[in-house]
Amino acid sequence: MESTAVVQNTKRESRKKLTIIDCDIHMPTIREAVIAYLPRHYREQIDTFGMRLPTQGAMYLNGAKGGIMQEQQFPMDGTPADLLAYFRKEHLDKYRVEHAILTGLGDYAIQTTPDADYAAALCTAYNNYMIDHYISGDPRVKGSIMIPKQDPLLAAKEIDRIGGHPGIVQVISSNGAEKPYGHRFYYPIYEACERHGLPFAVHVSMEGIGINHPPTGAGYVNHYIEYRMARTQIMMAHLASMIFEGVFQRFPTLKFVMIEAGILWIAPYIWRMDQDWKALRSQTPWVKEPPSEIVRKHVRFTSQPIEIPPDESLFLPLLKSMHGDTNLCFASDYPHWDFDHPFKSFPKLDDELKDRIFYQNAAELYGLPPRRSESEAENEAEGTTK
Amino acid sequence: MTKYCIGKASEIQPGGKKIVEAGGRSIGIYNIKGNYYALRNLCPHQGAPLCAGVTSAFVNSSGPGDFSYECEGEIARCPWHQWEFDIKTGQMVVDPATRTMTYDVSVEKYDVSVDDEDYIYVHVP
Repeated sequence: MESTAVVQNTKRESRKKLTIIDCDIHMPTIREAVIAYLPRHYREQIDTFGMRLPTQGAMYLNGAKGGIMQEQQFPMDGTPADLLAYFRKEHLDKYRVEHAILTGLGDYAIQTTPDADYAAALCTAYNNYMIDHYISGDPRVKGSIMIPKQDPLLAAKEIDRIGGHPGIVQVISSNGAEKPYGHRFYYPIYEACERHGLPFAVHVSMEGIGINHPPTGAGYVNHYIEYRMARTQIMMAHLASMIFEGVFQRFPTLKFVMIEAGILWIAPYIWRMDQDWKALRSQTPWVKEPPSEIVRKHVRFTSQPIEIPPDESLFLPLLKSMHGDTNLCFASDYPHWDFDHPFKSFPKLDDELKDRIFYQNAAELYGLPPRRSESEAENEAEGTTK
Repeated sequence: MTKYCIGKASEIQPGGKKIVEAGGRSIGIYNIKGNYYALRNLCPHQGAPLCAGVTSAFVNSSGPGDFSYECEGEIARCPWHQWEFDIKTGQMVVDPATRTMTYDVSVEKYDVSVDDEDYIYVHVP
């Protein structure tokens, strides 16, 4: 009896110490080190005129100063290696993160300038900085390719340039856009994603900024909270666009990742799409399966900022309805102010579901290796939390 | 109840705060208009160090576009999700049932002190 109890207890302890994959990380950068990667032409322009990018902060507030958790103090007067060291200590080691997905360096503002050549040069600079200073600096760090979405051919060129790097796991673009992402304008991007086996991710940001359309179809909203609420409807539009324009028929291996758009609203939205598809299927006959099935096969979601229903018993049924067991991946959004704590943001989940959301779903999506054995993870966690 | 001396009263001026360890807990000691308050440095939401955020007023309004400031310096704003807590009660502003611990604070002179300084004590159960 006693020995069984000990074994069970040990098993429970080791389960508690399992490593995770965190699918939304925003690393700051050392500006001078990024600018060093730009061609002379742009270095001189920036030196004379500044960065020449529209900013979200010029139109909308954020949740906290600098948009980050107020106790986080990145050594911004240091080197890129200093920033990485801080990130290791404050996040990777602290929360047993086995893989951390950087969701694009710099600012999605790059994707809002009308100058696509400049945007492409900036993307290249940030992507190179990311590979040289962060991905190469820690094997846990994985990267997303920032693309000049203004010009899908230039975007495809950038994907082809670094898409084969082993630390690159996806292509990323902002939710704010000139056209819904199902539009054939974007096909060169999806072709390039398929060539390299990379998912295409859309991260909320830059709605209504620069060349992007207003944050709602009804026009500009005023306050930051309205702006955050408006993001969901844009993501809804992208999702329906991807499905009904037939992107997944044309690009059958493409995965689409929705980052930071919320999760539980997806359940009734899928129901609604299925219902309308039954009636309107003949207008888009290339959509041969129920939208819910296309979502299950091709679309993945990240969890932060997670909605918790006041009646927590609603959480699991809604999670199940949006395919959370297979399609949801944990994200913290570190170091942003609306960070979701890896161990405290979710309601209680059974071990299997927890394992899917905090590791397996992301590992399958990004082609990451299986989790190191539980004992190894346990040893490491104990070694690094001293 | 154990009382812990956390420093000289003069160290925390009105509007100021100090985060201390006492009885195995991290606690924020605030000086609000000359009175001292102790708030557990732990947000009940996701466990952030609550007292590491900004200290602010309660912002009120009579209607759109109007802002008024009340209870100056009495609100602790969580450094992560910016939830607002009343420093005096530990209660969340919009949901008083969500709360963190508060502790009694006293200002005393050392029992056998040669100086005439006031010291702050926090009383932790």
